[in-house]
Amino acid sequence: MAVLAPAPVSTAPVPGKKRLSRALSERRTRFGLLNAAPVVVYLLVLFVYPIFSTLMLSLKGDDGAFTLHWYADAFKGANLEILLTTLRISAETSLLSLVVGFVLAAAVSRLKPLWAGLVMVVVVVPHFISALVRTYGWIILLGEHGVVNNALTGLHFPGAPFQLLYNEVGVVIGTTSVMLPYTVLLLYAVMKGIDRRLMAAAASMGAGRLTIFRRVYVPLVAPGLVNAGILCFILCLGYYITPALMGGPKQTMVASLIDTQVMKQDQWNGASALGIILLLLTFAGLLLLKLLQSAGERYRNRGTAP
Amino acid sequence: MTELRSTLAGRITLTVLSTLTLLFLVLPIVVIVITSFGKDAFGSFPPSSWTLNWYKVLFADGSKWPAAVSLSVLVACLTTVFSLILGMTAATALVRSDLPLRTAVYGLVLAPLVIPQVVVALGLFLLFEPAAMLGSPVAIALGHTVLASPIAVMILMATLKGIDERLEDAAASMGASRLTVARRITFPLAMPGLIAAAIFSFITSFDEFFISQFLSSVDTVTLPVQVFNVLQYDVDPSVTAISAILIAVAVLALALVAVVRRLGGSGQQEGLLPTEPGVGLAAGGETAS
Repeated sequence: MAVLAPAPVSTAPVPGKKRLSRALSERRTRFGLLNAAPVVVYLLVLFVYPIFSTLMLSLKGDDGAFTLHWYADAFKGANLEILLTTLRISAETSLLSLVVGFVLAAAVSRLKPLWAGLVMVVVVVPHFISALVRTYGWIILLGEHGVVNNALTGLHFPGAPFQLLYNEVGVVIGTTSVMLPYTVLLLYAVMKGIDRRLMAAAASMGAGRLTIFRRVYVPLVAPGLVNAGILCFILCLGYYITPALMGGPKQTMVASLIDTQVMKQDQWNGASALGIILLLLTFAGLLLLKLLQSAGERYRNRGTAP
Repeated sequence: MTELRSTLAGRITLTVLSTLTLLFLVLPIVVIVITSFGKDAFGSFPPSSWTLNWYKVLFADGSKWPAAVSLSVLVACLTTVFSLILGMTAATALVRSDLPLRTAVYGLVLAPLVIPQVVVALGLFLLFEPAAMLGSPVAIALGHTVLASPIAVMILMATLKGIDERLEDAAASMGASRLTVARRITFPLAMPGLIAAAIFSFITSFDEFFISQFLSSVDTVTLPVQVFNVLQYDVDPSVTAISAILIAVAVLALALVAVVRRLGGSGQQEGLLPTEPGVGLAAGGETAS
């Protein structure tokens, strides 16, 4: 590794080689600290400190003394229900985007590079379009006389038109379309790296298609599935826009509750406690991901250890 | 034969399913663009007759959209400046130096991408409310920078890694000062990356909803917050037109990034996205608060 600045020849007339290299490395360290300072200070003040003060607020009673009763409130009655709804909708969304993402990623990974590139553009571009706008698009599509219901009625689909908005179906559809680009990209990255000859080898040994899929393909894709599933779940937990616009009262999620408590009820302590609970759930998810990743690593390396 | 042949039925099923999935991603966007030109706002689809009226309404007297648009542009510009400064220094520290606690610094920089945005927004609200800074464009931009800077750092780290360090050393060995090296060598070479980082920071801020929602006041409202309010409370067909404009802005911005990358042409970065799968994706991410 080289340095950015001229070697300090002038400052060190004929130093021992060791001293020179130490001076150089100190210089590089100082340079690094100097450049890292702005972002670190910025994030400490505007990211870490605010979260820390949220934590403090959530532990403070009306009289300023330490209390856990905001947390107790969060796990009671209507609030507990909202918490459970959040977990349920997040789980449904992650599951659906895993399944749909799996199919699309598998299809793309078989395409020629040019086509695969084009399809990935179609996947990625929506991701950069405001989620708010895409949610609005779903509201137009899924309304009682929206495109989807009109098409289904036109096809004489039994039961059409369906109620697709302001219930859980609507929320899960909307949220899934927001999360799908993540799962497709994560799964595609893993699938592209799979050696397809392994499947051919399994077939040559007489394995059926289902066995190959179950015993060869899925285990190879598993790390991507775990990664995408957990990440999707975490991102859903704090999601607000789609549930607020496409859900009914029964689909209220924690983020909406926090918003109501702060904006309408001036209930900052309770909102802080809910925020910290979301944060802890996120950490739990990340920890689970780490554990599963290292467990997978160990499993793959079994037998190679001395 | 080194590959397992897929059956015809399998191929057809896969093609049909993936086409449906692509439609699933694209339809909500297409439907807005088409509806925005339709006479009957959100009535039937496809619209029976066409009009540009919804776009004209946006800029009519008494419309609340121009104020929201200009606030959003101002905030996004401030965010872009902040996030480029933080991004360039941080990327330099992470790629071009021996930084003690490098992993910790890197983790801190990426953390805002996975932390629920409600939590960030709530914390910022608690910070700015007592300071009576709610509704200030600077406060909103400072908040957006928390989300935009990780993306800028990732893009610029990839860019710096792609620049041959020996060019900088060569200039330095000829007596160029650190500042001259940065100005004459590093910045010109990093220009495509800088432009990409600027564009992604801009869109991140321009589309951001949740932090803006918490930091807005009654009379300073950013565009996404305005759109949300209209969708939630009063029905106003011009929201379709503004949504179509937001789509156009995002698509143009992405096209610009693609062009810059192509012209920059070093080819070390493929595709539209910054490196690091998953986290990198969060680039547009926050839009999804």
